Amino acid sequence: MKTRGIPALLATIGIALLVASPMVAQLKSPDDVKTALRLLVQVSNDFKRQITAKNFARLPHEYMEYTEAADALRSAVKDEPATFKGKVETRLKAAVAAYQKISEMSANAPDADKLMAEHGRAVTAMNAVFELFPADLRPDPNTPPGRGEAKN
Amino acid sequence: MLAPLLMLLGCGRKPKSEQRVVDLYITTDGDFLVFLPDTLTCPTGALVRLTFRHAGKILSARHDWVLTYPGRLEALTKDSLDHDGILPTGDPLVIATTPLCDKGQTAMVEFIAPRPGDYPFVCSTHPEDMRGVLHVTS
Repeated sequence: MKTRGIPALLATIGIALLVASPMVAQLKSPDDVKTALRLLVQVSNDFKRQITAKNFARLPHEYMEYTEAADALRSAVKDEPATFKGKVETRLKAAVAAYQKISEMSANAPDADKLMAEHGRAVTAMNAVFELFPADLRPDPNTPPGRGEAKN
Repeated sequence: MLAPLLMLLGCGRKPKSEQRVVDLYITTDGDFLVFLPDTLTCPTGALVRLTFRHAGKILSARHDWVLTYPGRLEALTKDSLDHDGILPTGDPLVIATTPLCDKGQTAMVEFIAPRPGDYPFVCSTHPEDMRGVLHVTS
């Protein structure tokens, strides 16, 4: 009786772990994450538009909005495991720093071509953040600016 | 005794056409650069009372609602971009506008609906993204 009970117990635990593991991988606030990622793209697109229009004075404000969207992402993952949060924070910091560099460059003798090249590097840093999240939560880069809704 | 006589003379008549009042409500899609709804309808000649709400909660971007004439959308967009989203007072391209709103704020504007047609509206700070149409019916 006892010996039959142990394998049954182990099997139950095994099944429970199998069921639980995808749940652990799921995000606690997927809607908030999706919103934050869309906002990062929206502000990034605005950065690009202001550079194209040579509206350099606007870039520090865009940077402020980028930090607000980044904070929204931090808030959206606050209840996730520490290792995952750590990965997000490392990549997010790099992305924010890249957009800050654009903002600072715009203040001193701005050059649209150089700013655009820097923007390309910032987008690469931002995409590294997106790679940490499931594909269905990532914004679609092909939708018009400001409407980065993920395609279903 | 006097009342029937006055009625015959038309003194007791109501005004021929009372001003029709139409209340419209429009909001931003949270912090996204989209109007909800992006299509509004009202009859010509009506007094329109439009309420605009900036429903954002995260970004510090400001938004407004600006109505322009058919065919003048691109001119207004250029005007907006040239003035960093702050349209000059008395801009001849503007039929009606709310003040700029910070996140969570609501503003209202009243205007008489122009003659029938499709009138574009934008947000002056994001005129390339936040767009819609006011259908004025006959």
